[in-house]
Amino acid sequence: MELKEEGCPIGSSLSDSGTIVAVTEDECRLEGQGAEKSSTKKVFQTLQRKVLELQRVLMDHFFRMTSQRVQSLSPEDQQRPQGSWKWIKRMGFLMSRMANLIWAEATKELKFKEPLPRSDPRCDIKAGQQALSSWQPDQPGPRLGGFEAVFVSHVLSRRGTGICDLYRANFQSYEAYQRDKYHKEKNPMGYINLGTSENKLCLDLIKERLSQRDMNQIEEDLLQYSDWQGQPFLRKELASFLTCYCRAPTPLDPEKVVVLNGCSSVFSSLAMVLCDPGDAFLIPTPCYSGFAFSSCLYSKVELIPVHLESQPLSIAHVLQADSSFSQLTMDILELTLTQAKMKEKKVKGLVLVNPQNPLGEVYTRSMMKEYLAFAKKHNLHVIVDEIYMLSVFDASVTFHSVLNIKHLPDPNKTHMIWGTSKDFGISGFRFGVLYTHNKEVASAMRAFGYLHGVSGITQFKLCQLLQDREWIDQLYLPTNHSRLRKAYLYVAKRLEKLKVPFFNGGSGLYVWIDLRAYLSPCTFDQEQILCQCFQDNKLLLSRGRAYMCKEPGWFRLIFAGDQLQVKVALDRFCQVLKEHKKDPRLKQLEPAIAT
Amino acid sequence: MDSGYDDSLPGECLRKPDWKQLKLYGVGDPVAMFSSDSSCLSSRGRVSKWFWDSAEEGYRTYHMDEYDEDKNPSGIINLGTSENKLCFDLLSRRLTQNDMLHVEPSLLQYPDWRGHLFLREEVAKFLSFYCKSPAPLKPENVVVLNGCASLFSALATVLCEAGEALLIPTPYYGAITQHVYLYGNVRLAYVYLESEGVKVKGLILINPQNPLGDIYSPEELQEFLGFAMRHQLHVIMDEVYMLSVFEESLGYRSVLSLERLPDPQRTHVMWATSKDFGMSGLRFGILYTENQHVATAVASLCRYHGLSGLVQHQMAQLLRDHDWISQVYLPENHARLKAAHTYVSEELRALGIPFVSRGAGFFIWVDLRKFLPRGTFEEEGLLWRQFLDNKVLLSCGKTFECKEPGWFRVVFSDKENRLRLGMQRVRQVLERQPQVVEEASPCHTQEPSTQPI
Repeated sequence: MELKEEGCPIGSSLSDSGTIVAVTEDECRLEGQGAEKSSTKKVFQTLQRKVLELQRVLMDHFFRMTSQRVQSLSPEDQQRPQGSWKWIKRMGFLMSRMANLIWAEATKELKFKEPLPRSDPRCDIKAGQQALSSWQPDQPGPRLGGFEAVFVSHVLSRRGTGICDLYRANFQSYEAYQRDKYHKEKNPMGYINLGTSENKLCLDLIKERLSQRDMNQIEEDLLQYSDWQGQPFLRKELASFLTCYCRAPTPLDPEKVVVLNGCSSVFSSLAMVLCDPGDAFLIPTPCYSGFAFSSCLYSKVELIPVHLESQPLSIAHVLQADSSFSQLTMDILELTLTQAKMKEKKVKGLVLVNPQNPLGEVYTRSMMKEYLAFAKKHNLHVIVDEIYMLSVFDASVTFHSVLNIKHLPDPNKTHMIWGTSKDFGISGFRFGVLYTHNKEVASAMRAFGYLHGVSGITQFKLCQLLQDREWIDQLYLPTNHSRLRKAYLYVAKRLEKLKVPFFNGGSGLYVWIDLRAYLSPCTFDQEQILCQCFQDNKLLLSRGRAYMCKEPGWFRLIFAGDQLQVKVALDRFCQVLKEHKKDPRLKQLEPAIAT
Repeated sequence: MDSGYDDSLPGECLRKPDWKQLKLYGVGDPVAMFSSDSSCLSSRGRVSKWFWDSAEEGYRTYHMDEYDEDKNPSGIINLGTSENKLCFDLLSRRLTQNDMLHVEPSLLQYPDWRGHLFLREEVAKFLSFYCKSPAPLKPENVVVLNGCASLFSALATVLCEAGEALLIPTPYYGAITQHVYLYGNVRLAYVYLESEGVKVKGLILINPQNPLGDIYSPEELQEFLGFAMRHQLHVIMDEVYMLSVFEESLGYRSVLSLERLPDPQRTHVMWATSKDFGMSGLRFGILYTENQHVATAVASLCRYHGLSGLVQHQMAQLLRDHDWISQVYLPENHARLKAAHTYVSEELRALGIPFVSRGAGFFIWVDLRKFLPRGTFEEEGLLWRQFLDNKVLLSCGKTFECKEPGWFRVVFSDKENRLRLGMQRVRQVLERQPQVVEEASPCHTQEPSTQPI
């Protein structure tokens, strides 16, 4: 058994600046010991340590026993260890549940928050999880008990286990929703998802367009291996599409287009080819949670948040149901970069999302130029994610694509990402595109085309869709924008009525809402509890912590859902807030009572 | 990674001076070779680019100058890429039927990342039937991804740590090296189980074999699986050619048809429509594993390896249509494969070239050793280039990590006119070559010297 490793990084915590700091096992122990102030704490700690010790001994014993038995078994007897394996697993699971419970009680009662002292890295599935998902370490969830974890890690590699946990931590509620979706008649008590950013307002138009005859053609080369950068006909169409809708000063070049199965894949592959493990990107926060997921899943790139400040909570803006965030300035960029450099971070680039997610703000052309100049000055790549570029529904707001800029300060290091998931409401298509002026990057990305390829049939349909400019300009975009506006106004009205401050800069599918007034105290733990309350009422929202928001209390709510569902969801939302405001202290105790 | 691997690698690898650094330790450390590069790519980015630039050279050249009967009659004929181009007529007819053109909202939105349930159910039924599984297979054991390349990558990532290895019998389908390395940083070990410090986590078996077109008997399978179990190795069974066995008499058995697997929790089966349904461009592959931890871990990566809901719907329709598959598609496909195979093998016999082929897959493993005077991989590379210069693309043994120089893979699953022209071009090149000693054994059952396991 090769599992024992001394002094390996077993956990991590979120430091003040929000960056990831690894904590080694020994440090945990030291911290734990240093904090033994009261004797009660000591008792709990000793008790827990004993239980963990017992667990370890039992585990070793079972392991030895089972592996001996498996080895000496004749092939006919192979069913048997399966049974006892299960039994052992169950026992181990109960043991570790016990240990965890004792610890949970201890921390709750005594209000101390040392990391768990761990006797055996084998029990340490949570460590991996925290190391990966450290932007939301307080996310609860059915984590595996230590013992079960051992069995998992026996099958999976450590990173495999980490990936599993990371996924579970991020998508647990999404999976609950997948299993139990709301339906007007069939499942009126099911989940409504206003957490996942999807535009469901124009499904009728899209469905009709995709059902037309021209979509169902099949040619030989669609079924065969093709250029891994994307089918040439689609890249050509994308170049012309982006030239048109991004108002590029000169026609874009199909050779600089890379097609992959989704923007997450594009971002992930781009991070692979631009960064080595441990390198970092700057990203203004709050930002879309998928970046954090993507950057640690495959590419192991660190995201350094450039925190945008919100207005302090005041009666006035609660009454006006209005809120705002500071803009991304040169000062804050310079400051964050300097701080990162002082910590010897290797900052390789700046990630900008325009229109912003979750703020729905659009950068002006001069702002964008400043950011680009800043990046050039510091020799940084700029990745501009413009996935919401056609979802600007406020007519007074003008969007400027980075591809619209005539003289890019550093074209070789400017990369633009777009996809049809949001703007055309077809996230199920799995399609994303990179436009980069740097042919070397495009060609390195191609190797990832193998692993993120898009079906030829899908590429053909996308091409048909995107080249139908008449349909897009005359029918789809105007309808989509007016429906987005209407949906936004409806949600805005409901929130105003509730006196819940919110923010949206005129684009996107979401509002960023301020529920700080409903948290007492205003902590991420309380935010988590509130989020759980929404979920208990079968409503999914995204919480600020996942968006690397600096302060607790912010949530993202999608307004571009089905009209009826949004209405029901807001009723549930009202209900939760009502209960929550009534007696926050009582609510706080509920999870404790439940366990 | 360090150069410590140099010593630990099996001897045959060291005899390949030009590729040594990259092809294998590439898998360890090709970075050194690129570090002088002033580009803005990361070191791993440069590795990806290297994979693309070198490994795909022939394929890229082909794409720039594809043969077309009318438009480009002097273009390159591709007998290198393993694709079945014989049944497009059947497929296009089936894929344009009305049931395929179905659009509903759930297909357009974020899916269950494991694959839509309706598709996983169809896959389970399909595999139960065509693999003749003793008990019905379960949809919850199925994970859907965009192709087997992604699946190799995902499995390598969740089963191995960076730097660990998977065992694979050679010669094998060389692209796997790239699949398991790009994200997973996993190496392939060719022969030995434990070679000084490289930890082997699993065994990859391709059945029917690529490029040998060989089939493992149930006894052999049991033996390999037993071996893996004794060493606690995962077994990744790649059965992507399972329905492309055109010699009935071979009696192919899927691992899923075995009554009892030695270690079901460590046996993972992959299949795709790329080969058996001639749709490599569709990007559809599946994993079947009883191990829910592995299934969940792979599914966790599916956000990055998903395929369109509309395509998932089409695949479900296709796999559900057993009548069409069993009565129309498979008999016709096998007949055409057999005819094409017969044509190419007769051409080879006429040329006096020994080859290996056993009636499965799309390729013939051809022995051109007698055309290499010194029997080196340089000469093999030169010969390969001469084929390419003469506008016919083949795959050389080196890309399959074949132990000895001189073996080539010829893909025969192409239309007759292209096949004829391709073989003609092959003949032209070979006729120009000086031959070494005429070996008097032009026998098609000759065993290659590299035995699987």
